[in-house]
Parts: sequence; C-alpha cells; structure tokens
Amino acid sequence: MRWIVWVLLMGLLSVALAQIGSAVASGVRYLAARSRPADPPARLLAAAVAALPERRRDWGRAMLAELASIPDRPARWRFALSCVRATLALPPAGGWPVLALVGGAAVAGVAVIGRVAGAAVPGLTVFAVTFTALVGALATLAVARSRRPSVGPPAVLVSAAVVASIVVTALLLHRDPTAAGYLPAPAAVYLAVGLAGCLWVALAPPRRLATGRRGQYLGAVAAVVFAAWSLLSHRLEPAQPPLPAVMALVVVLVVTPFATFAVPAFVAGRAGRSFRAGLSATVWAVTASVPLTYAVWLPEAMRRHAIDGRTLDGELVAPVGADLASALAFCLGIFPLFGLALGVAGAVLGSHRPAGAEHRARRPAR
Amino acid sequence: MARSRRLSPQTTAVLLALAEDPAAWRYGYQLCQQLDLKPGSLYPILMRLTDRGLLESTWDTGAPTGRPPRHLYRLTGSGRALATELAAAPAAVVRRRPGLTEGWQGA
Repeated sequence: MRWIVWVLLMGLLSVALAQIGSAVASGVRYLAARSRPADPPARLLAAAVAALPERRRDWGRAMLAELASIPDRPARWRFALSCVRATLALPPAGGWPVLALVGGAAVAGVAVIGRVAGAAVPGLTVFAVTFTALVGALATLAVARSRRPSVGPPAVLVSAAVVASIVVTALLLHRDPTAAGYLPAPAAVYLAVGLAGCLWVALAPPRRLATGRRGQYLGAVAAVVFAAWSLLSHRLEPAQPPLPAVMALVVVLVVTPFATFAVPAFVAGRAGRSFRAGLSATVWAVTASVPLTYAVWLPEAMRRHAIDGRTLDGELVAPVGADLASALAFCLGIFPLFGLALGVAGAVLGSHRPAGAEHRARRPAR
Repeated sequence: MARSRRLSPQTTAVLLALAEDPAAWRYGYQLCQQLDLKPGSLYPILMRLTDRGLLESTWDTGAPTGRPPRHLYRLTGSGRALATELAAAPAAVVRRRPGLTEGWQGA
C-alpha cells in the first residue's frame, strides 16, 4: 500500500509546488516591501540589539532611534560602534562568575561525555561530543545574553523528544555495534547539529520567532499529529486491510502531511495577521517534528528488523543500521524541508488580506 | 542620602547635567555631546540609573514621520536629591573634564 501513498503524495506535491512557489514568491515580495533600507551602521547596531535580552529591548530600541536621528555618516559609525561595544559588555545573568562556571561546566561536560560514550557506546562518541559541545556553547551564550529558557509545554515536548532521540540512537548502537558504520563522523555531526538546533529553538527561541504562544502550541500539536502519521504509515505497511479501508487510509496518509504543516501556519498567520506569526508556527512544527519522527522511526525500525530482518520500508533485507541512515535522511532532511515549504505557503496565504478588506474593516458601521 | 556604591565621574556628570534643568526631558545623544561621553559609556549609565529609580524615561511622541520615536530621560525625585547632594560635594566638579570618555567603571 505504501507505493500508492507515495505516488499520490508525489502527484499532489507536484501540483502543490506551483502554488507553493507562487506563495513563497509573494512572501519574499512581502518581506522585501516591509524591510526598510538601512545603512551599514544601522544594520550593525540592529544586529547587536537583536541579541539583547528581552528586559533590555527598550534600551536597544532607544539606541537605534537615536542613531536614526544622526545625519552625519562618520558620527553614525562612531555612535553605532560605541553602542555595539556596550551591548557586548553587558553583564551576563548572575554576573561573570556564573558565566565562567557555565563555560567551565560545558568544557568539562564535553571531556566527560567523550570518555563515557567512548567506553559505553563507541559508535556514538562523535555525536555525543559534538552534541555536548553545542549544547554547552548555547548554554554559555544564553547566560552571556541573559536569556531565560522557555519552559512551556511545547519546549518540554521538544526537549523530551530530543532526549528520546538520543536514547533510541544509543540503544540501537548498543544492540548492534555494526550500525556505527551507518553513522560516520559527518552524519554524527549532522545529527548533533540538528538535535541541538531543535533544543535551541525550543528553549531559547530567536526573538523573531517568539511571536506568542499560539504559534508554539499550534506547531507542537502539528508535530505530534505528524509523528502519529509517521507511526501509522510504518505500522500499516505489513497490514492488508479491506479496500474501502485502504482508500480511506490512503486519503488520511496523503492529506495529513500537507495539513499538519500548512494549516497551523495558515491559522497562526490569519489570527496574528502577520506572515511572521505563521512562520513561527511552521518553525515550531518543524522543530518538534524532527526529534519526534526520529524517535518514532528508530524503535519501529528495530521492531520491524526483529520480525523479518528487513528495513523499515520492507524492501531490503539489510542490517538495522540502514534504517539509521534513512532516519537521518527523512527526519532531519526531507520532512523538515517539506514542512518548511508547506508552512511558508500557509503563512503567506494566512497573512494575505484581500484587497479592500482593510478598508472595509476600518469603515465605520452605519 | 546613603549610597551603597561610589559613583563614577561619568555617572556623576550625567546626574549633574540632568539636574541643570530637572523638569526637562533630554535625549541620550544630546547628553553625549554635552558631556563628551561616548554612547557606549552613556547608555549603560542611563540604563543603571533608570534601574535604580534615579531616572525616568519616556518615548518622544513628536518624532518626525518616518523616524522611530526617541527615548527621553529626566531625573526622578530621588535623582534630584542625589544630584543636589553631589553638587554640594567637592568631587562633583567633573563636568566636561578631559578624559571622561576613557572607559566606564560602572555606575
């Protein structure tokens, strides 16, 4: 039944691509129209201000506004550079000793994890060291920038999914050490960067993505639905249900991936009346779906391999490690790209207001 | 008025400059030019003085079209009291002193 799903998926995808391309082009034009021309000093200072913690946002806005009132170009450069220096020297949360402590803990953590992983699961060493180094660097940066981690349910969901992803990878490599051949150093680094990136977006999201809770929750729910779809598609593979059920399942399996990414972005974009709100929901959906689908994929692969020694798609009799490579390709490659494209399209459509709608909305009722 | 930490010369200069006309709202860049302070030194001072309740700030609502509103600052009651105390002290003669822009030692 899987080939029917894929044929229909590809057909729908090709039809949708034209719409997506058009929508993305509209989004690019929209963003270009919104962006103001700024000279290098303004761009430099804006970048520095963007890295400031939330509680210092007004301070950054004040400096940017002051810069806008300075006409002389050399004076603008002097002002911007001096302000950038001030933003970089901003004391971290808890003071410099806390920053040194966190940085030291990160370095020690890399050394300890490297030794532990090397002894327990040798195939996971590169991943473990890279992931720990990245998380340590992000934690140090967060302290330096006085960022407080987000602890809402979506962030907890992503964090738990990342932990689950690491556990299932370690379990697979522990059960079958030869699977390490399917996780060479570049792939291990890729996995570490992907999972650490998910943690970063979930716990310390960039300000441009922090457009409210609606996007976070919509994205998290979409990711859970997408992971359930992934599990369903794996479990239905060996089953032979009756034809009407097959047709219903095919519709569900085809429509779900499109709906899970496009609909939340559309809803968030429409409710927030902005492309950014829709994009935020998409990024959250992708961020949560990466570790969730990966954490579903590998246990299913191990289960399937234990039955008949085949890969998860049932096509090959191969070592279970082959599914590790598939999980990386799909969960950290194809699915996120697919979701981003659909989400951007949904965000553009959701934030788009028909010509005259704003005028009608402003017109007083008679 | 008891102070927990000794104020830097730059911070004292900012307080005294604002105390010249306590009722007036002042721009940050205006203070930079008056005191010959670099903005990278002035803004942390303004930020800390505001955090301590010595300054109040607001956004300029009369900004020209196309320009973002600027931030304005003036002394609070506590700030005025401290400025009066500083003005009476001999060490307060730091305004427009050469070398004010050489680094910032904290508020």
